[in-house]
Formats: sequence, structure tokens, C-alpha cells
Amino acid sequence: MTDLDLEREACPIPGPPNSNLADILERILDKGIVIAGDIKIDLLDIELLTIRLRLFVASVDTAKKAGIDWWETDPALSSRAARDALQNENRELRERLEAIESRNDDTRTAR
Amino acid sequence: MREWGSDSSDAAALYVFAVCDAPDPALFADVPGFAVGGPLRGLRCGELTAVVQTVPAADFTDEAWQARMSDRGELERYARAHHHVVSAAAALWRTVPLPLATLYHGEDRARQALIAETERFRAALKRTADHAEWGVKVYAAPPPTDEPSPALRASGSPAGRSRPVPGAGLAYLDRKRGIQARRERRHEESLRVADTVDAAFRNVAAEVRRLRLHGPELTGTSRLQILNATYLMAENRADELAPLVRELRERTGAEIELSGPWVPYSFIGEV
Repeated sequence: MTDLDLEREACPIPGPPNSNLADILERILDKGIVIAGDIKIDLLDIELLTIRLRLFVASVDTAKKAGIDWWETDPALSSRAARDALQNENRELRERLEAIESRNDDTRTAR
Repeated sequence: MREWGSDSSDAAALYVFAVCDAPDPALFADVPGFAVGGPLRGLRCGELTAVVQTVPAADFTDEAWQARMSDRGELERYARAHHHVVSAAAALWRTVPLPLATLYHGEDRARQALIAETERFRAALKRTADHAEWGVKVYAAPPPTDEPSPALRASGSPAGRSRPVPGAGLAYLDRKRGIQARRERRHEESLRVADTVDAAFRNVAAEVRRLRLHGPELTGTSRLQILNATYLMAENRADELAPLVRELRERTGAEIELSGPWVPYSFIGEV
């Protein structure tokens, strides 16, 4: 391929032919110059649209079950992480207590 | 064709797709717009030309858009039509895209509003001239399968719960800590790869915008998105991108998706 071919490919700009809907939406939703139109329309952002329109390959719950959830447990990415850290500790303690108690129960039943 | 009755049920609105420095507004006639409207046309706004379409007002109210945003097929038709018109205009002239759903009551209102913004449009045209936008998405491999997820383990092995062997609680905690540590290592590695790819593209790009990461609802669960960024690239450097992506794939082992060239949507607004 010559330089000339590449140049022709790059300009003019037709937009990628097989672009997926999410790629388009994240560019055309309020990304240009914000101009006040006469008719006020509140468009949802890409995240809300994604959730509402089920552009899904799989549900969020399915992903969590598969363990793909690190963005939720990273303090830098999520305020949930801080809360979860406490909850985790709490749960671990409760589970440990449960294990000890059930051991005691077993001992008692055995008597 | 352009005249709509005064009856409110077929009142018209004017949809504006983009503003460009087109020398000849008549050339827009060949490009299709929304199926429900009149023909696409140019509207002279001082020294610039807006790409507009007269549409039935009833189909473009806030209520209509709210309904549209609950219907994937509908929204996709409108989003792609908008994108197609913007791209077609940009293929011919220097173009500033307007956001989806920019509407005026008529030509006079639109002309008045757009002429008032001439300076901002000119600045955007100047900033993006001879540049295109390229999207870059990077994905990491999912966690290895020998590491069961907490959810799966919690529901499994009830026997261990009712009759734990001595030290089971401690072993459980150790296992949990191990999983957490591995997850953190994987996470750090992902961030490193994302930074490496981003730095390499910044090196050749004029500007960059980070977009929100796509969650598994968009990417599927078989891979994890670790970078979603978009770069403003000089058109004469576009041929550097494919070799760069190949090199980065080899260097990082990550899955890298390049999309473009796009009309520089993400670089129009002042930031």
C-alpha cells in the first residue's frame, strides 16, 4: 500500500463502517459544542442507556458471579470499595464465629 | 415538501446535525436524514452552513425521545442516521457535529442561534482541521478459572459448613487473602498495560480524551475493558496507527481495538 492510498483512506472521514451502537452513542450524546436548542430534550448518558436498553452480552450479575468485579473493589475506582472492605471484614468475622459455634454444637450433640 | 400545515398535529421542527464551512448548501440533497422528515438541506448561517432537516415536531419532543431511549431499535435508527449525516458532511467539508437532538422551531430561530455561536464554531473547525478521531479500547484477559469466585464458593460445599475440620476458619481466611492478593496483582498489571498503551498513543496524538470504561454489560464477561480512550490524530499520521497497535499487542499481550477514523466528535467542545 502506498502513502497515497493511506492518505485517501484517512481523508475524507466516513466514520468506521461497522461501528457499534455504544461507540456511536458515546460520541454523539452531548459531546459536541453545547448549543441550546429551542426544544429541551434530556438525553440519558451512555451508562444509563446501556443498562436500560440491554445492549448486553451478559448481565452484570452474571459477570459478578464470574468474579469480574475488580472495578467495584478498587478504592480508586469506587466509593463502594471502602464500605465493602468493612463489610468483608465483618462477614469474615461472622463466618469464623459461625464455624466455631457449629463446632461447639457438634461437640454438644456428640455428648 | 418543506411546508408543513399549521395544524399542531403536523407542526414542524428543524433538526440541526452539524455546522460546516460548505461552499454549496445544495449538495446536501443526496444524503438521507431521518426517515420521518423532509429532505436534508443546507441552511446558510452567515459564513457557515448548517446541515438541517425539517421533521415532524411530534416525533422530536422530549416525550418522544424519552420513549425512544427505551427502545433499542428506535434509538439505534436515530443515532445511526445522525452519525451518518454528520460523517457524510465531514467527508465533504470541515464540519462541527452538533449533539444528538438539537432542535429549533424553525429556520429563523436556528439561524439566529447558530450565527450567535459563529466564533465557537470557527475555533472548533480550526482546532480539528486535518485531524480525525481514533478510538482505542484495551482488554485484559479474565481471571483464570482455577480461581473460583466468592459467589460460587459461598453456594457450594455445605458439608464443610456444618462440620468444619479443625482450622477450617483460618484456612478459609487464608484462601480469601490469597484471592484478594491475586486480584490486586492482576488489577495493578491491568493498570500498567492501560498506561503503556495510553502513553504510546499520546505520543503520536494531538489530544486525548478518556471515555468511561465499558462494564461487562457491554463487553461480555469473557474479557475486561481496562482502557477506553479516544485520540485526535493528524490525518497524515494515521498510517502510524496500525503498526503501533501491532507493536503494543506484542509488547503487552493485551487485546487492543482500534476504531476510526471518526469525525472528531470528542474534540469539538472546549475542555
